Amino acid sequence: MGNLVQAELRKTTTTGLWWGLLIPTAVLALGWGLATGLLGQFFVDFAASGDVDEVSDFLGVTPDQWKVSLFGMARAINISTIFPMIFGAMAISGELSRRTITTTFLTAPSRVHALLAKMLVYVLWGAIYGLVIMLFLGIGVVATSDSGQLPDAGGWVMLTLVCVLSSILMTMFGVGVGALIPNVAGAIVLLLLYFLVIENVLHGVLAYLEVPAVIGFLPNGSINGLTGSVSVDLFLSSAGVVPTEIEDVLRAIAGAAGAQDWWLSGIVFLGWAGVVFAGGWAVTQSKDIT
Amino acid sequence: MHDGSGLIAVQNLTKQFGPVAAVQNLSFTVSPGSVTGFLGPNGAGKTTTLRMLLGLVKPTAGTATINGRPFHQLGQPGRVVGAVLEAQGFHPARSARNHLRVYASAIGVPDAQADQVIGLVGLSSAADRKVGGFSLGMKQRLALATALLGDPQVLVLDEPANGLDPEGIAWLRTFLQSYARMGRTVLISSHLLAEVEQTVDQVVIISRGQTMFYGPLEQLRQSQQKRVLVQPSDHNALATALRAAGVQAIEQLPDGRLAVSGVDSRQVADTALQAGVSIYGIQEEQVDLERLFFQLTSGQYAGHAPAPNPYQQQQGGWA
Ligand SMILES: Nc1ncnc2c1ncn2[C@@H]1O[C@H](COP(=O)(O)OP(=O)(O)OP(=O)(O)O)[C@@H](O)[C@H]1O
Ligand SMILES: [Mg+2]
Repeated sequence: MGNLVQAELRKTTTTGLWWGLLIPTAVLALGWGLATGLLGQFFVDFAASGDVDEVSDFLGVTPDQWKVSLFGMARAINISTIFPMIFGAMAISGELSRRTITTTFLTAPSRVHALLAKMLVYVLWGAIYGLVIMLFLGIGVVATSDSGQLPDAGGWVMLTLVCVLSSILMTMFGVGVGALIPNVAGAIVLLLLYFLVIENVLHGVLAYLEVPAVIGFLPNGSINGLTGSVSVDLFLSSAGVVPTEIEDVLRAIAGAAGAQDWWLSGIVFLGWAGVVFAGGWAVTQSKDIT
Repeated sequence: MHDGSGLIAVQNLTKQFGPVAAVQNLSFTVSPGSVTGFLGPNGAGKTTTLRMLLGLVKPTAGTATINGRPFHQLGQPGRVVGAVLEAQGFHPARSARNHLRVYASAIGVPDAQADQVIGLVGLSSAADRKVGGFSLGMKQRLALATALLGDPQVLVLDEPANGLDPEGIAWLRTFLQSYARMGRTVLISSHLLAEVEQTVDQVVIISRGQTMFYGPLEQLRQSQQKRVLVQPSDHNALATALRAAGVQAIEQLPDGRLAVSGVDSRQVADTALQAGVSIYGIQEEQVDLERLFFQLTSGQYAGHAPAPNPYQQQQGGWA
């Protein structure tokens, strides 16, 4: 198994795809970070200057201590992890369409071995992408935010953890979809459509039907919940007593409307990734490679 | 894991792709120490058979084993069997050396082995170039290098001469023969008997997914018949005399000659002399292997000669 893992790792490092996707990922994370700080600053200035006292009373702290950067960071992670997901999606679909899968299967004890080795290597890549996202996001946010809006040390650690976790899970989900749909363009288009359009429409419909809790169990809803719930929790931990209605609004701002607790969200999404990978594995296992 | 015999055994192998019967009830064995040719026209089912042997295609029925085991039970298959398959993929952006290193680690052999096989197939000078820029023959050489990475006991090659230059073909020929002489097993497919005639010891000839001939090439050579083509003064008299002498295979050719099988020209001439028939011309004809191959495989997708006038064309298309 160690041999196969090394082979899969070499496959990823001997072509330029890993950095070709990592660069836009870093740029996107940095851009979101900068925008988060600027928007947060604007919002806090507005709140402090006006008659938004009611909100400030609810939250129990003055606006300049609101850790608004947390919301932007949650959203930034959700968007940026699309890239590692695409990277994962090309793992198996790329080998199938380039027919390199023939040699891969000829040199592995079994197809299960080959797929598991691949999954392990992409988990590692998911973690690397996650760390890079957090690094550039952090640089962007710190450069444009007042210290009052930034999380404390524990908050940074927690955010880094969920960012890496989220990136790993998204990569795994991508690997599964790429095994299920043996066509690179098809797999990527489907993933983008689903994560950027289809599920957002679905969220709107579910909210309209007044069953927002369902959202937290959908793929995008649960992965957003992983980061969104952590950022809302961190925000609230530094605020006073907050009424439920306001909390719901905050969740929506963090992109985690209807989401479960962060750890439950993570488990739900892991379940989705597992289902998709099992499907892709079943398809690949019985496929005739001609 | 496996018995190490180097034996390839294909038994009652069948593959159905939807309505297409690609391989039907195919059986043969390939022993170590010899090069076996796997021959058949386009679409005969060669590639499908080899892919079933290598665990890439699931048989509809029957078994294909290497060392007495199906492919997925070989344990470390890269060290047991090396394969060159048609339309085998390479990542266009990966260099030849990196390609080999990827699979060297999968098989579990040191990187030095990658450099060694790349030298063996004559690609050293192109080792660090991206495979996307390789010619067909260079890709074929790289595929062969990949097959040799694990120093396997069994080599399975699907049309390996495809795209090779004459020098490459000559090299491949001697290489495969010496590989077999070391007691290893070599199975090589082709749709041209002439292409492998000088390389192989055994042949398996298939057509439409079925075995047509299976045995030593020497036996195929011996089974080929000689014919005597003779131009007599009296066809009937000679035919009657030959029949009286126990020769039955007599055929009237369109050009007016008689074709007599199973005898030599001397016997025909002697018989004619006794019967008082003059001979204006006599010729011995050797049916060559290639024609025998044609007869055995009579092309399922044989093309038709182009019709001189398209409006007079009869049933065109595929046979
Ligand atoms: N994936 C597939 N789906 C459907 N039919 C297939 C598939 N692969 C092969 N076939 C069919 O199976 C038959 C045998 O094909 P195969 O490729 O094994 O022939 P071959 O002997 O290798 O021919 P060639 O000399 O042209 O390489 C053909 O009729 C082909 O169309
Ligand atoms: Mg073929």
